[in-house]
Amino acid sequence: MASALATDFTNKIVYTDEVAEFSPEVVEEMKSHLVKYPPERKRSALIPLLFVVQRERGWIDNAGVNFLAKFLELEVTDVWETATFYSMFNLRKIGRHHIQICKTLSCKIMGEPEITEHICNKLNIHPGETTADGKFTVTLVECLGSCGTAPMMQIGFDYHEDLTTEKVDQILDSLK
Amino acid sequence: MSELIKVTINEQDFEVEKGARLIDVCREKGFNIPSFCYYSDLALQASCRMCLVRIEKMPKLQTSCTITCTDGMIVTTQSEEIEKAQRAMSEFLLANHPLDCPVCDRGGECELQEMIFDWGDVEERFTEKKNVEPEKFLSPIVANDPQRCIVCKRCTRVCDEWMGEDAIEAGNRGVNTVIGTYGGWLNCSQCGNCIEVCPTGTLLDGVYRHETRPWELDQTITTDVYGSDGMQLSIGSRGGLVHRIVARDRYVNGLNGEFLDVKARFAHEFVNHPDRIKTPLIRYKKGGKLIPATWDEAIHFVGQKLTESGKNVGVVASPRLTNEAIFTLKRFAKEVVGTDNYAVSDRYDLSVFFDNLSAPLATHKEIRKAKTLVLIGGEPEEEQTFTAKQMRQAVRNDGAKLIIVNHTPIRLSAQASQFIHINPNSYDAFVLALTDSANDDANAKKLGIETKDLADFRQTLSETEGDTVVMFGGDLSPQAQSVLANSADAFDGTNAKVLFHPLPLYNNSVGANDLMEGKKSLSEVLKNSKALLIGGSLQEADTNLLANKDFIVVQELFETETTKYADVVLPAASFAEVDGTFTNNTGFVQRVRQAIEPVNQSKADWMITTLIAREMGADFGYNFSATMVFKAIADSVSAYEGLRYPALKDESKPVQVKHAISAKKDLSKEFDVLKSNVEKLSDEANKLTATPRVGHKLHRLTTLTSKTAQFHLLAHGNPKPENLLVSPLVQFNLDGTPRTETADAAAVGVTDRINLKVEY
Repeated sequence: MASALATDFTNKIVYTDEVAEFSPEVVEEMKSHLVKYPPERKRSALIPLLFVVQRERGWIDNAGVNFLAKFLELEVTDVWETATFYSMFNLRKIGRHHIQICKTLSCKIMGEPEITEHICNKLNIHPGETTADGKFTVTLVECLGSCGTAPMMQIGFDYHEDLTTEKVDQILDSLK
Repeated sequence: MSELIKVTINEQDFEVEKGARLIDVCREKGFNIPSFCYYSDLALQASCRMCLVRIEKMPKLQTSCTITCTDGMIVTTQSEEIEKAQRAMSEFLLANHPLDCPVCDRGGECELQEMIFDWGDVEERFTEKKNVEPEKFLSPIVANDPQRCIVCKRCTRVCDEWMGEDAIEAGNRGVNTVIGTYGGWLNCSQCGNCIEVCPTGTLLDGVYRHETRPWELDQTITTDVYGSDGMQLSIGSRGGLVHRIVARDRYVNGLNGEFLDVKARFAHEFVNHPDRIKTPLIRYKKGGKLIPATWDEAIHFVGQKLTESGKNVGVVASPRLTNEAIFTLKRFAKEVVGTDNYAVSDRYDLSVFFDNLSAPLATHKEIRKAKTLVLIGGEPEEEQTFTAKQMRQAVRNDGAKLIIVNHTPIRLSAQASQFIHINPNSYDAFVLALTDSANDDANAKKLGIETKDLADFRQTLSETEGDTVVMFGGDLSPQAQSVLANSADAFDGTNAKVLFHPLPLYNNSVGANDLMEGKKSLSEVLKNSKALLIGGSLQEADTNLLANKDFIVVQELFETETTKYADVVLPAASFAEVDGTFTNNTGFVQRVRQAIEPVNQSKADWMITTLIAREMGADFGYNFSATMVFKAIADSVSAYEGLRYPALKDESKPVQVKHAISAKKDLSKEFDVLKSNVEKLSDEANKLTATPRVGHKLHRLTTLTSKTAQFHLLAHGNPKPENLLVSPLVQFNLDGTPRTETADAAAVGVTDRINLKVEY
């Protein structure tokens, strides 16, 4: 149920007409994606641009969606449709550190459930939630292609492999 | 037309047109093929996979909705293999679909229900948990139950292709796919076409919600009372109450197919509204109160007073009335009073257009198939919604060229191949420029455009091969309209046929113009007469002319500005309570049929006028039958010659009246007026650059639409409620307390991946 989302931190999205503003360099970068596609098929650039917005703002927020709709001459629902289709776009505000634990077969066999349970107990949240202080978000994801070193997780853009509970403690403690 | 090819379906040989779609061919030849996502004239989807057929030499079963017929194709539509596949598909469709048909508004006319009766298995083998999502409202009038969705995406395609709005889309992926909007709230023109095309109970009519079951309703096919497109619709009524309106018929279509707009579909609560005038009302003394009276008393009083006024009686008909009512009012003026003081209370006078008409009227089908569309002024997406839909589809599906000449960037201009953005009030200059290419520079300056724009415009027209449809709205001056209507040759192309399409504002504007031949202008009639017989209220702006009249009779549904001046108000029946005809903007005469008995003591407008006439000693010979009134119309109005009700029986083959096409006329007088108008225009003008808000005319509160509660919310900007689960109108618990559940509104609107709980 939706109420399982314990903290206010992740819950409230206020939908407004506010349009995000980006620095000139970022807008330049976005324009550099546009030139890869024919001018009448601007919307093809939506996915690369969603990644730019996510990088700049941390997640795909309301203002970012409004910006993209305007930038690519789309309706907001078109942006929403694409953004919800892909799991790597965050439609909620996420914590400073995004912990993505691989839950696919190899990792699962090699002890992913214990790792997940350990992390969730340690941070006192369920998978899919963010800690109250906004530091960590834990999600379970499909295969990250590192089966040889299972179980593994990805924090931010870094892989952490051959996990054990001790190793996890060490990693989490080292993060600020 | 195109060449014929041979196709074998189930061992029978057929000759079909090349390029025909297989599913259409099979259905036409009587082979039943189930499908959900296929909808003719919409983009192909092939996601429901119910329409599988076996085609020889193709390795797998094929979806017949994506196959075009080729010569020698051998098709099997029924076999054990196909049935097995279809049964498997329907089992998957039910994997997440709750079997809550007894509480679902769609139950009884649900395409999924029908299909499962034929193709479903009794046993369900899925033991997994079903996706559960709470019911919610997407807008004041669109209710949504996401778990019933089978993801055929008809609604998203209709929203995009018919309305050009993209307001509703499918979010998330795989088994979690839901139909929704960003933020969970629907901001669009609220046409409700997504509800109409939904094959399940996912999108539901919020006005009709939980009112009755569809099989308990009497369906009456009739014509829309709001727009001039004459859309065919079906009134669902029970026990004298109008419960809902759906498009003409779910399977047999009138000119509009399943298309309706927000007013046609939802604004019907005025019919049974408690504010309807219940009995005749008489104001015995000026400044006094309207006092209820009996019909005999009121008619006697009216007859007496109008006889006293002699030839000073004026007659005004509203363009909302049926042809029968308008014609009877005109006969009253001519035969009973013996006066020429009769008028139509329309905002936009069509008579100059029809007097100078130099090419036939375009039908909606011809607009859809046209190659070039020219729209001068007007805003069809707000006023003639079906015309706008046909234009959008012609551009989108058939690559027609759309040229828009307007002083604001209306929403349709996004589809236009050329948008000529002129200065406000400079339409006269454009019409002049059209007929006279010598002064392009001067005219372009007045219009605030480049000279090249005019040249491009002419080039597009001259290169057109196919129909050119010229439409213009009411913002043109009468002189401009007469010149435009008379200059069909200005639009001639290489191989083109030029057609005109007027954009009047009311359901029977064209009919009123046809039947009120020789009418005078409204202000003239109001000024020249001491007593008035008014059928249907006037525009609010005109009512000040009603002061200081000796005697005013008004036939009306509700108390309005006009009835404040009335000495007698007679309760008229609404469009759902009368038999009659409307003439739409393409000249189609279409039937209005009685769905319910007249509410309270109301009577049909033509009957009221006939009663007054009888009181004054004239017999129209109608025998109180609408058929006889229409026969009288057909006998005396040349455009309607020979028509009878039985000839108008079939909505899918509407009858067009014969509007006279005049030869090229000498319009030098009009040209002089145009030229002097254009000279008065200043070169410097501020262009309007803001695109008008969606629904700024559609959602306006009028006497009729204000009676539907939901329109008040729409007119005030469609505010999103705190809690989407509860209806935007107040809902109550059984103990009488208002419902105030606190759902997590944001989570309901957007269920993203992060939210998905994983079960161990």
